[in-house]
Parts: sequence; C-alpha cells; structure tokens
Amino acid sequence: MIAYLIAIAILVGIRALLTLGLNVQWGLTGLVNLGVVAFFAIGAYTSALLAVGGAPLVAAWPAAVALASLAGAALAIVALRLREDYLAIVTLGFSEVLRLFLLNETWLTRGANGVTGIPRPLHARFSGHYDLFYLFLVLAALGVVYFALERVHRAPFGRVLRAIREDETVAAVAGKPVFRFKVQAFALGAGVAGLAGILFAHYLAYVEPNMFLPQESLFVWLALILGGSGNNRGALLGSAVLLGLLEGSRFVKDVIPFLTGVRLAAAQQILVGVVLVVLMIRRPEGLLPEKPGSD
Amino acid sequence: MPPIAQYVFNGLVTGGILALPAIAFSLLWRLLRFPNFAVSTYLTVGAYVALALNHGLRAPIALAWLGALAGTGAVALAVDRIAFRPMRDRRPFSLAIASIGVAFVLENVVRFVWGNDFRSYDVPVTRAMSAAGLRIGRDQMLILGVAVVLMALAQAFLLKSRLGIAMRATADNPLLAAVKGVPTERVIAAATFGGGALAGGAGVFLGFDASIDPLMGAGLIISVFAAAILGGVGSAPGALCGALIVGIVEEAGTMLIPPTYKTAIGFAIILVVLLVRPTGLAGARA
Amino acid sequence: MTTLTRRQLLKASGTAGLVLGAPAILRAQSKEPIPIGTLCPLTGAGGSYGPDMQRAVVAVVERINKAGGINGRPVALFHEDDQTNAEAGVRAARKLIDVNKVVAIVSTWASAVTLAVKPLCVEAKVFLIGVSGADAVTQGDHKGYIARTQPNTNLQGRMYAKFAISKKEWKRVAYVALQTPYAVSFGDAFTGVLKAAGVTITDNFIYEDKKPSYRSEVTRVIATNPDLIMLEGYTPDSVVMAKDLYKAGYKGAILGPTFAINAKFIEGAGGDVAEGIWSMDRAPLFDSPAYKEFSAAVPRGDQSPYAPQAWDQMSLVALALAAGKGEVSGTVIKDNLRAVSNPPGTVVYSFADGAKLLAEGKKINYEGASGSCDFDQIGDILSAPFSVQQVRKGKSEPVMIINP
Repeated sequence: MIAYLIAIAILVGIRALLTLGLNVQWGLTGLVNLGVVAFFAIGAYTSALLAVGGAPLVAAWPAAVALASLAGAALAIVALRLREDYLAIVTLGFSEVLRLFLLNETWLTRGANGVTGIPRPLHARFSGHYDLFYLFLVLAALGVVYFALERVHRAPFGRVLRAIREDETVAAVAGKPVFRFKVQAFALGAGVAGLAGILFAHYLAYVEPNMFLPQESLFVWLALILGGSGNNRGALLGSAVLLGLLEGSRFVKDVIPFLTGVRLAAAQQILVGVVLVVLMIRRPEGLLPEKPGSD
Repeated sequence: MPPIAQYVFNGLVTGGILALPAIAFSLLWRLLRFPNFAVSTYLTVGAYVALALNHGLRAPIALAWLGALAGTGAVALAVDRIAFRPMRDRRPFSLAIASIGVAFVLENVVRFVWGNDFRSYDVPVTRAMSAAGLRIGRDQMLILGVAVVLMALAQAFLLKSRLGIAMRATADNPLLAAVKGVPTERVIAAATFGGGALAGGAGVFLGFDASIDPLMGAGLIISVFAAAILGGVGSAPGALCGALIVGIVEEAGTMLIPPTYKTAIGFAIILVVLLVRPTGLAGARA
Repeated sequence: MTTLTRRQLLKASGTAGLVLGAPAILRAQSKEPIPIGTLCPLTGAGGSYGPDMQRAVVAVVERINKAGGINGRPVALFHEDDQTNAEAGVRAARKLIDVNKVVAIVSTWASAVTLAVKPLCVEAKVFLIGVSGADAVTQGDHKGYIARTQPNTNLQGRMYAKFAISKKEWKRVAYVALQTPYAVSFGDAFTGVLKAAGVTITDNFIYEDKKPSYRSEVTRVIATNPDLIMLEGYTPDSVVMAKDLYKAGYKGAILGPTFAINAKFIEGAGGDVAEGIWSMDRAPLFDSPAYKEFSAAVPRGDQSPYAPQAWDQMSLVALALAAGKGEVSGTVIKDNLRAVSNPPGTVVYSFADGAKLLAEGKKINYEGASGSCDFDQIGDILSAPFSVQQVRKGKSEPVMIINP
C-alpha cells in the first residue's frame, strides 16, 4: 500500500508542478493556454532523447527546460496578439501538431514506439527505496519552484503581470511594454511545465506520444480551476484533489460490483465533466480563491 | 498522379459534412459570444440518435436522420438550459470551459450506453460512378446535396423570417434588441435548437460515410473551428465557404505532406487566417 | 512481497522447506486466494478490445475455482482499466502490485502500456503477459518476467509476404498501415521480402487514426495501380478504408490481419465491400478442444481477436503456478512457464486436465485456443503456421496454411 501511495504522490507532485506552470500563464498573467501539455512533452522528450543518447543528466535537464521555454516564447510571439478565444484554439492546435510531430518524425523521436530505457537519476545509489528518493526529488523541485514563483508574484515583475491580467490597456498606458512581459511570462510557465515533463519522463523511464494528448491539458486546467486559479496554493490543492478523486474512484468498483469496465470509466469521466461545469457555474473562483488584498 | 480535380471533389464532400457544424458553431459563437466546444459532440449525439432509431425501431435511414435532427436539437436545448443559461453574464472564457465539460459529459454518456465499439447503419454501400475522369459516389452526391439545401434554408431563415432577423439583431447588439422587445431567451432557444439539429444531421452523414463511435465528433473540432474562423465568425455563407476550403485543402494537402499530418492543416489555416485577416472571408463586423 | 514475508517467517521459525511443515499461521494461509490482475483497455483507443479480453480471463478463473483452485487455493481476480494510456496504466499497475499484491498481470493490450508497466513488474517480480506487438516489449533485460502470446511483427511481416509471393498475379503491392508502434517494423519486414522476390512496391504510407474518411489516402494509393493492397490496421479504421476503396472503384485485392478482418468488420463494412478480402493470422487451433471450450465459455468470444489469447494467458499462468507445488509468486510463474507450455510433455487443452497431470508429477504441454503457445527464451511465441482466410459470401473462410 505504501509503495502505491508513494507512486501516486510522485505523480501528483509532477502534475502540481505542471499546474504551477500553467498558473504563471493563466492565473498570474491571464493568458489562455489550452496546449500546456505541449511544453510538458517538449521537456520530457528533449531530456529523454538527450539522456538516452548518452548526455549526462546535469546537461540534459537544463537543456530540456531551456528548449521548453524557448518554444513557449516562440509560440507566444506568434500567437499572443490574438483575442482570448482565438488564443485558446491556437494553443490547442499547437499541442496537437506537436503530438503529430512526435508521432511521425520517427528518425528523431522514435515515433509511436516511444523512447524506452530512459535512465533514472541516481538509480544505483538508491536502488532499494528508489521511489522514496524520487518522491523527495519531486517535492524538492516543487518546493523550489513554488517559492520562486511566490517571490515572482510579489516582485515588480509579478505586479505588472497581474496588472496586465486585470486590464491590459491601463498597463500599456502606464508605459509597460505589455507584449514583452506577456512573452516572458508565457516562456516562464512553459519552462516550469518542461521541468515537470523531465521529472515525468525519468520516473516512468519511458515516453510515447499518446501520453501527451490535448485532453491532458484539460485536466491541468481542471486542477487549476478547482483549486483556485490565480494562486499557487490553489494549483497544488487542485492537483491533489483531482488525482485523488480519479484514483479514489478506482476503488469504487471494488465496492459497487455492477459498475464495471467501460461503464465505470465512462461514469468517472462524466463526473469530471459535471464537476467542471458545476464549478464554472457555481464557484468559478475554486476552492482557494485568491485573496483580494494580494492585488 | 490522379487529377487534382479528384481531390477537390473529395474535399467538397468532406467540406459539405463539415459545413453544417461549422455554421452552427459560427452562428452560436456570434449570438452567445463564446466558442461552444460541445458542437462537435452534437455530431456524435446525432449519429447515435439515428442509430437507435435505425437499429432499434428499424426506421429507414431518412426517417432516422429526421429523428436525429429533432433529438440533437432537444439535447442542445437541454444543455443550454442547464449549463449555459445560468452563465449568460459571465466572461466568454468561463463559458468555453463549461462547454468543454459538456462535451466530455455527452461523449461519455454515449459511451456509457453504447460502449466503445464502432457501429454502422443498416444501409447498403454503393460503388462510385465514373464521370469526366472522376469517381463520384452516389452517397457523396446525396450528402452534398442535402447539406447545400440545409444551408440555403438556414440562410433564408436568417434573412427573411422574423425569428431569424431577431436572431441577427440579438447577435449584433443584445441590449438594444432586448430594449426593442426582442424575446432574447426565445431567440437563443431557437438558435440553439437549430444549431444542434444541423450538427446532429451532419453527424448522421458522418456515420453514414465512415463509422459511428463515441469519439467521432471530437476529431473534427479543429476543422470546425478552422472553417468558422476562416469564414468569419457569425456568417453562415462564410462558414460554408470556410468549410469547403478547409475540406479541399485537407484532402489536396495529402499530395504534398504525409496523410498523418492532416489535422495540422486545419491548424495551419487557423493560424494563417488569424494572423493575416482575423475577421475572415466575410469580414464580420466587430 | 508476499514471498518475502513467507521466507522471513520460515527463517524465523527455523524451517527451510515446504508449507506442510510450517507453523500454524502459514497453514491457515494455504486456502488464501491467489491474487491475479488484469490490465485491459476498457476505454480509450483500445476500448473495443479490452472488455472481451477481460471476460475471457474471468471465464477461465471461474473454471479454475470450480475445479478446486490452484493447489487448493482459489484465484482472486482484480481488474483495472488502463484507459489505453501509459500513465494511467502505470498507476493501475502500481495499485495491482502494491495494494492487491498480485503475482501476475495478464491481458495487457497496448504496447505503450506494456512498455511502461514492464519495469515495474520486473522490479516487483510480477509476471506480465499480454498481446502487445511492439518489438521492444520482449527486448532488454526483463529476466524472464515478460511473455506474449502474439507473434512478433518481424515474423508476421515475413509470413504475410510469403503468402503474397505465392500469388503470382500480385506483381504490384502497396502497403498501407495505421499509425501503431509496429506499423513500420511490420512494413519493413513485409516489403523487404517482397522486394527481394521481385515484386514492385507501389506505395508505402501510414495513415492517422480516427479519421472519418480516408478518401484522399485511397485516391493516392489507387493512383499507383496496385494489384494488392496490404491493409495493416484495426477493425474500425479498416472498415472505413475498405468502404472508401470500394466506393472509389478499387477492384484489386486487399489483404489484412484476421484480427481486423473479423465478423465485426464484415458486419460493419457490409457483405459487398468485404467480399473477397484476404486475411491472415497465426493459425488458431479451431479444431482444438481448447478453442471449443473457449467458444462455449465466452459468448461472442470468437469475434474478438484477442480473447482467445487472454484465455490462454490466464490458463498458462495458472498452470505455471500449479507446477510450483505450493509456492506462489511471479518468480514461480517465470520458472515454470515453458515447462508447462512447451514440448515435450502430454498435450493438455485446459487447466483442469493440466493440473491433474501436474499433481501426478507428469510433464505437460499446454496447447491453447489461440495457438500452441510455445515460448522462446525472451518470451516470444515460437514460429508457427499461419492460416490464410478469405471472405466468401459474408463469412471469412479458411483457405490455406502457410508454414514457416
């Protein structure tokens, strides 16, 4: 049981990190990124391919984060001039095209086979209780990023981002180079998402394109909205609650025997959809609303 | 190399199927001010309603199709009542997210009832005829024909009928329309029902042409979006042209790029349009 | 984990041997159920295949338990849905391994899931057996904890090519495949053998999953004028492809895998479209008692390409455990798998027959519903004859056997 809980905790931690990345883009800056899974994938694949190709992890990991950030910046420069609802579909389309790229450019990405045998950091050292070590690694990364982002939130950079989120025109009138800030925020969020992807790839020791479907972005959004968008604690809480719900429902069928197989899975997903709709109607600010004073 | 004309014809048929949900999507976006991601799932719902009628009640496919129109319209109405009406005054983003949730629910309700297996209608398959060096399927002609008729009807409705005019007025300026006594909720209900029916009808065509499974509509969302944006959000003729162009470019594109990148074409179209001429072909007013 | 605890207890009590001499606490455990897990795609891309596989496993276990269990212990099944998703599969496998303490996971389907779950099973010494086709599944250092009942793709590609070559009228061949982990390796093996025999490969491409229509793909391939189109996909997309080929007026031959060209395919595509389509697969032993028992026990099971394999997987795991004489673990399964499935030995077609002979100390050779189930060292099925079928008057009829 403990090993199972540790494994789930690791995956929750990774998702929470990904959600923190989205929070920089959406919660802090108000940018609608429906394709956040793309940066998760870029981080995962870059690190995986470099590591499998022989690069030491101390080189592969920063390179992967950098590439994810760069990709974020590039997408931002092209797409951020668009209105909110247009930006949504462009970012969604980007993540889908990236997935097709991962699937088809076999010469680079190994295509549908995926990348197997991704080395795990310090595996030999901790081989007895590896998952426990990895949990600490993920929690450490999460902790560092969380505190760094909280600092950003309070720093002048963060204040400008929040001003942009509330009213772009006012921020522009106040002389801030709005566009540049938006690109930076987007790239920062993409980099954090990429870091989450790195931890993901090295934990599973295997990546393949269908791990990065567009609906994964939807689950990140759900976690963020559920927990309370706009604040980092909400991002963490939402990820834990969401994955907890999904994993917990697995045990339901052990109790309710007639709800099995396809029906159970469909019911689980109906629940997710209903929660999303009800949230948007009744409590769009989520479980942990942003404190008004923090503006 | 086959003549490019064959690809163009194939694209016309794909576009014809795409045009119906694209029109629904485009008009509803204009009217309700948010992109409704559930529209592509209405396709799935329509296909399954027709399946239930065709298999369960042994209805001939034409009747099943009519049933699908009515059934999907009703589902769309119910969705609007439950999910979107309480959010009329919210920002578009919240509604868009809610519509994603709705799409999820509908797809999984279908899966709950019918499972994951793909199905087919009780209809014979026919070989294409050859005309002018092109292969033209009888089913394809039928789909294209019905789609064009439906669109003409929709356009006539919007231009000539009282409800249609009221719809356009509400889309242009909801406050003014309300002040002038236009029954906003009734207009929305009519548009929702009509949009749902169009999408549902297209779903039956899709099921006819390909096969029926819970994910059938979801795969089209990017193409539908592309068609609507290309045509200019809010314009029915625009959505029709947009859909035909998207269909043709997607089909003809396989001559140049590997078929596995087909979805990328829709995305590329969206990007190009939004960057070059965001108001689309019809150039809708702000 | 269970094995470790038992060993620790045995050490502590000073005994080093059989359960019979163990303290009371272990004797009480000897009727404890043996936990086994199924990890099938009940939703997601593989969702139409999982439920039948799961049903087949359930049917086998019902029979096992009715026959008195494995060495007196009943089997307790735990089912999980992998959602045809590697990460979900990993979470599900973790639950099966750590919470339910299963000694084996059977009936996995997607290569991605099997590949992601493989390291977990090897580390936990849990036996993993499924139908996944990607080459990487049986490669690498898995210490014998992996096996699969599906022939590997290289073998399959060569066998299909052998059949294609035997038909002299097929001089121009096109290879069209669905995007899967094995599409390329199968295609390379297939086209490689054909090219060496002087056949012209007119087109070779992969198409995307879940498209409502493949008209442009069809237009493209027909334009290259093939005599035969090798269509390597699953049933849903094969139906759409076949219909589109028919509508576009293609009059040449079509060859596909039998797991795609099955009764569901014929029903979905319609008799006219399906007429004359060739299919091949590793020859299931239709006449074997195992297949008959499977058919009777699993309604509509013969319409599922993978259910017979799932049936065999569970039977093999059970027999390997039975051969373990009391000890129950993934290691026992790995150690005994080939002993119960490969020749020499008395041929048996069911768990009940096999268990009886094992109890008498005899050597058995299980022949299953999906094939003769003989494994090589890395867990692949040994080379086997393939059965060629053709759809005639609405039914897929066996036509000939191709031997390796």
